[in-house]
Amino acid sequence: MATPRTLASTAVGASPSLWDPVVRLTHWGIAASVLTNAVLDEGGSLLHVSVGWIVMALLVLRLVWGVLGPAEARFSAFPPNPVTAVRHLRQLVAGRVRHYPSHNPAGALMAYAFWATLAVVTASGLYLTGGATPMQVAEEKAAVASGDWSALIAEGGGESSEEDKSLRHTVEEVHEVAANLLLLLAALHIAGVIVEGRVLRRSLVRPMLLGDVRRGK
Amino acid sequence: MSESPDIRTAGRRQTAALSIFLLIQTLGTVFFVGDVIGDLREDPGSAHFIFEAVVTAALVLGIIFGAFALRRTIELLRAQDQALAVARGALSDVIEGQFTAWALTPAERDVGLLALKGLDVAEIAELRGAAQGTVRAQLTRIYSKAGVSGRAQFAAFFVEDLLGAGVPSAEASTVKAG
Ligand code: HEM
Ligand code: HEM
Repeated sequence: MATPRTLASTAVGASPSLWDPVVRLTHWGIAASVLTNAVLDEGGSLLHVSVGWIVMALLVLRLVWGVLGPAEARFSAFPPNPVTAVRHLRQLVAGRVRHYPSHNPAGALMAYAFWATLAVVTASGLYLTGGATPMQVAEEKAAVASGDWSALIAEGGGESSEEDKSLRHTVEEVHEVAANLLLLLAALHIAGVIVEGRVLRRSLVRPMLLGDVRRGK
Repeated sequence: MSESPDIRTAGRRQTAALSIFLLIQTLGTVFFVGDVIGDLREDPGSAHFIFEAVVTAALVLGIIFGAFALRRTIELLRAQDQALAVARGALSDVIEGQFTAWALTPAERDVGLLALKGLDVAEIAELRGAAQGTVRAQLTRIYSKAGVSGRAQFAAFFVEDLLGAGVPSAEASTVKAG
């Protein structure tokens, strides 16, 4: 490949040798938070709700960045398109893939799937906690711990009817299923990153971490 | 030879700091808005509401402006990076072309390049494993072929050329390489 020596890494058409810091921060923040909430902590605990709110903020920031960020981070650089995604996967199987200026079409679809599922998880989580902020949850827990059960009664007051109870149950189900879907997507995602990296013969993870400190090759 | 780590690290630190700030801003905004919505549901007629709405608007605008500023900084840094690379490529193209025009021998080209890089006679001699007298003689021949009086004028020749002609565009300098 005869890439011009001086412009190899800035040339149009090559994916970034280093993702910008907002993409990296939101990526690893979301990844760590999802693992924490889906695997490590107890659903509904103060930590769980706090991490959940952090996920909301990370998601909001990434979506804002998808409109206002630099070219390769913008949604317009990786539109969701199932047709090109399938074509990309076929090329991947054949062992020869194109280079894209941002995420490849399959990776793009994966990113949108993540974001949509995260929105479902946080929305259902908000419903389950009645929209209480982590500060309010902490206050309630402190009140209950000190023997004041009125916080619990106030919370339970809204769901006295059978209908409310079954709705709550459904939302709980949605929350858990979506959380498991996130884990499934993550497994596919990591497999995809590994396979794509093999075929392209370059690390995709490095640009997502600290990037090529010595660029050029 | 193609790197400028100082500029790049400084730029990276700056954008990383701005990004962390933007993230904290977003966290604060999301928590504040959640709190406001909670307050509203508890006490919809609250006189606080107008105040809270104004603060919310300010926080949201802060995120948007912060994101804009960060994008501008990232793009500026990239443009600088690229301009530097182009300038570097352009300067070495200019030097090569000029050396050819002066009909320098391969040995003279090497010595001339080292001299341009600021090495003195002793250093050049050591690098090339030659006697200092040889290097001095080669330099004299280079200066005479170039029609300059000495090392200072020799270096100035290229700087002036670069400044006078302006930096060629990216396409112009990549035609050769691609
Ligand atoms: C990355 C995002 C999240 C993931 C992966 C996640 C995952 C889960 C999982 C797997 C459970 C079931 C755990 C168990 O039964 O012990 C659960 C329960 C729960 N989650 Fe989340 N969650 C997330 C975000 C949130 C958010 C944002 C909130 C609230 C604002 C929330 C509130 C809850 C509550 C209240 C429960 C307990 C439900 C119950 O009563 O059984 N979660 N979550
Ligand atoms: C639950 C965990 C994870 C989630 C939710 C997640 C989510 C995402 C999302 C949404 C993107 C798109 C990034 C953007 O444009 O903002 C992405 C990209 C990426 N992720 Fe993850 N990720 C997770 C775990 C991981 C892990 C463990 C790795 C490392 C092996 C990884 C490596 C990457 C890479 C390399 C990209 C960029 C792919 C490309 O070059 O197009 N991710 N991820």
